[in-house]
Amino acid sequence: MSERPTAQELTEAILEFLGGEILPTLTDPRLRFRTLVAMNALSIVHRELAALAVEDDAELRELAAAIRAGDVPPGTLRRVKADVEARLRIASPAFLESYR
Amino acid sequence: MIAEMREVLQAALGGEISEPVLLAGGASKEAWAVDVDGEPLLVRRAASSVIHRHTLSLENEFAVLQAAHAAGVKVPKPLQYISDLAGREAFVMERLEGETIGRRVVRREELAAARERLPVQMADELAKIHAIPTAHVPFLYEAKLERMVEELDEVGEPHPAIELGLWWLRENRPPPRESVVVHGDYRIGNLVVGESGLVGVLDWEFTHLDDPARDLAFALVRAWRFGVPEKRLGGIGPVEPYLERYNELTGFGVQPEELDYWELAGNVGWAIGCLTQMQRHLTGQDRSVELAILGRLGVEVEYEIVNLLERFAG
Repeated sequence: MSERPTAQELTEAILEFLGGEILPTLTDPRLRFRTLVAMNALSIVHRELAALAVEDDAELRELAAAIRAGDVPPGTLRRVKADVEARLRIASPAFLESYR
Repeated sequence: MIAEMREVLQAALGGEISEPVLLAGGASKEAWAVDVDGEPLLVRRAASSVIHRHTLSLENEFAVLQAAHAAGVKVPKPLQYISDLAGREAFVMERLEGETIGRRVVRREELAAARERLPVQMADELAKIHAIPTAHVPFLYEAKLERMVEELDEVGEPHPAIELGLWWLRENRPPPRESVVVHGDYRIGNLVVGESGLVGVLDWEFTHLDDPARDLAFALVRAWRFGVPEKRLGGIGPVEPYLERYNELTGFGVQPEELDYWELAGNVGWAIGCLTQMQRHLTGQDRSVELAILGRLGVEVEYEIVNLLERFAG
């Protein structure tokens, strides 16, 4: 399952935010140091994610194209819902849990 | 820059001008609070980036605000359009007192009485908006449902749930109603709310010509219920008095099934909106974690879409 932003794109955004907006405001030397260390740790995650193989989203693209073409056999909604739930468990589990 | 702004405002408005203060929020427009001879005013000014390419220029938004004000809609009184305010276009309007943060409107205890009144008051204002003569706002365009498909294709990511929503909307379209002037973003969060209820309607940048039922249903979208999902009308109350009052005033006879249809359309539109916001970050147009994460949080809206479809399927 492919998902944008990818995990790597998200770590990149957080690194930019910490470096560009948080770090310049920190005057406490100890906090500054610890933030730099945290950013370094996040950079490791970022590089490690780069080494992962890109996930294949061909099946998802096929499904999307079929629905666009009006090819919606029984069971399509169930299949789509399962995919959405799987992504929701990563992106926003609390939303899924409290949904009613 | 603030000194320059103050000078231009001084020339445009006259009187004693306080130092402009930039208010929080607003991705596409800046809001500055300024007092002129002690009168509280708000300066709406273009920000560096545009949230959405289908938005009005500030000049046209100002003209819409004037037309709405003339039609008796509760809006901040429009005062002056300024084509160059320290390098960007802007306009000045009255600064209304009240709550505009959706999350607080649905929760704050002192607004409990206001929430009781809001469904009928929201219908009152929307009926007036939908009666604005199109001749007063000749620059407005008609929005087609198909535009959502174009926007999704520009993102280029596969989202079967959104496709399924679009498919259902194509298959189940109600008979089209004659287009009227619509607000285009009529929901809690774009209203000023005081203890006695609705004080003013804000954010007219998405105004266009459209099916009135679409505008009527937009406040029902779950994302705009601000964490109170059991209250279908924007997290503040039930839909029935809102629909009843609107029909009573307009004579349009909008049916509950039409609200269902356009509620789904609102969700599909916002699911795509989340992706286009994400694109602004990914393309480097406007780098921010808030925009980036919308790409992932859009899946909440997709979940709502599949649940609505399940419900419609019975």
